[in-house]
Amino acid sequence: MKQRSNDFVLGAVILGAIVLIVGVSMFLRESEIGTKRHRVTARFGDVGQVQVGNTVVIRGVKAGKVESIELTEGGWVHVRLALDEDIELPRDPVVLLGASSLFGEWQAIVMERQSVPKNRDVEAALAATRTAAATRDGVLAGAVLPDVAQLTTVAGGIAGDVASVAERFQVAFSDTAARELRASIRSVAQLSADLARTVRVQSKNLDTVSVDVRAGAADLSRAADAFLKTVARLDTATSAGEVRRIVQESERAATQVREAGARLNQITQSLEKTEAHLRSVMARADSVLVKVDQGQGTLGLLVNDPRLYQNTDSLLRELRDLIADVKKQPKRYFGFKIF
Amino acid sequence: MIALVGRIFREALEGLGSAGRMCVEAVRSSRDLRTWGPLATDQMRKLGVDSIPIGVLIAVFMGIVLALLASYSFTNSVPRYLVGTLVQKTVMMELAPVLTGLALAGRVGASIAAEIGTMRVTEQVDALETLAYDPIAYLVVPRILAGLVMFPVVVGVAMMVGLGAGWVASMGLLDLSSAQFLKGARLFFDDFDVRYGLVKAASFGVAVTAVGCACGLQTRGGAEGVGAAATRAVVTSAVLILVLDAFWAVVWLLGRAV
Repeated sequence: MKQRSNDFVLGAVILGAIVLIVGVSMFLRESEIGTKRHRVTARFGDVGQVQVGNTVVIRGVKAGKVESIELTEGGWVHVRLALDEDIELPRDPVVLLGASSLFGEWQAIVMERQSVPKNRDVEAALAATRTAAATRDGVLAGAVLPDVAQLTTVAGGIAGDVASVAERFQVAFSDTAARELRASIRSVAQLSADLARTVRVQSKNLDTVSVDVRAGAADLSRAADAFLKTVARLDTATSAGEVRRIVQESERAATQVREAGARLNQITQSLEKTEAHLRSVMARADSVLVKVDQGQGTLGLLVNDPRLYQNTDSLLRELRDLIADVKKQPKRYFGFKIF
Repeated sequence: MIALVGRIFREALEGLGSAGRMCVEAVRSSRDLRTWGPLATDQMRKLGVDSIPIGVLIAVFMGIVLALLASYSFTNSVPRYLVGTLVQKTVMMELAPVLTGLALAGRVGASIAAEIGTMRVTEQVDALETLAYDPIAYLVVPRILAGLVMFPVVVGVAMMVGLGAGWVASMGLLDLSSAQFLKGARLFFDDFDVRYGLVKAASFGVAVTAVGCACGLQTRGGAEGVGAAATRAVVTSAVLILVLDAFWAVVWLLGRAV
């Protein structure tokens, strides 16, 4: 009897413990017995830290779990997502894997292709995983979002550099460096005192200069006023059309001057021709005169021979007497007969 | 001094040798099902079922303390829901097996050593041999089997109770919502956590019962010897539990560490 009781209690305890352990494990795994799900497969080049059981999210709402991760041909990784039965995928869906917090939790995000964050690496990964064969088989394109760990690695590198610099600074900052630094600080203090003195002196000079500048500015102001008045007058003259008339008259005068110049040019050319002509005439006259002077030709003979002159003179006197006689006695010389 | 060192070394070797011989004989005697079969359930009841209350008590306080400790340790930059993660991982993988194992080492190991030691000093073991009973099959095998089966049961219950205690303590004492605690507990939960804890518990059960049996069978003298055997069994079992804990961590966790 006692043995049977022992067996019963023992069996009950063992079965109870098994049920308790399995039940709590399933509760923690969020296992759902009998729940229908539909499967979606996505293709990745790399899946980061995603593990089986990680959450699948659509527009921030939990929609399922990562069911399996397996290597396939061509170096791809196929991740199968088990989604709740009533979940509808967005249009043109892609799957992004990324950390959901800073503490190593990863999730798969199903979203529209157009809503993917602008990132060159993500775009390239999506383009690479979206092949014709994959699309035909209903496999979605997938990519891994930049991991926080990468940023942490970069930050770690920076921290290492800073530590290195600090270490070098510590090495460089010896007693000698400290003394030199102290001396430098003293020098800087002296320098700043000198600078203050200089600034005081220069400020006095600046006061003087500023007075002069003020006077100059007043002169400039007056000149500007005069200029303004001139400009106003000029503006008035411009507005009355006087300048235009002056310009037009100037144009006309310039035209006339141009014409006069052309005429003067013609006259000058005529004068040049006349001068050449005159020079030629003078040359010939000179030649004639030389010949006359040398007694060549009829004229030369007339000029140089006095007898010829006297004959000519006597001839002229006889001719004059003849003409006088003709006048007195015309019938003596002219007889008119008709028939 | 040199003689003392030599004596300690010799006794340690003798202890190891006799324990090893006893384990080999236990394996050989496990074929004698008719001898140990009827006794096994009785031993399981005594070693396992009767130990569940102490395991549950330890687990309750363990869960509460862990939740408070986690909350105290996490600063503002760490999300509160990680209290659940810490409680789940620590209870299932470490504290439930080890603390429960240590408690059972005191309760079970000392009990076995004292019982068998008393039988040894009162020559009941010799009487068994005289009656053609195999003392190993009669005394050792059912106890080791009980430890192998029931330690994981007790530790499994302690795991779940510890987790529940941490959950309740987080809600009641830390203003942590149930959803937050469960989020943390589920975050990094893996079936491996449970398997790891239960396998460790089974190894602890075998170690504690085997050490208790070995110390009891090696008992010499009268009541004083029985007391010494019980003490030696508890100390050795506790040390073995910690050694096995490190062993399993090296064997299983090193390979899984990224």
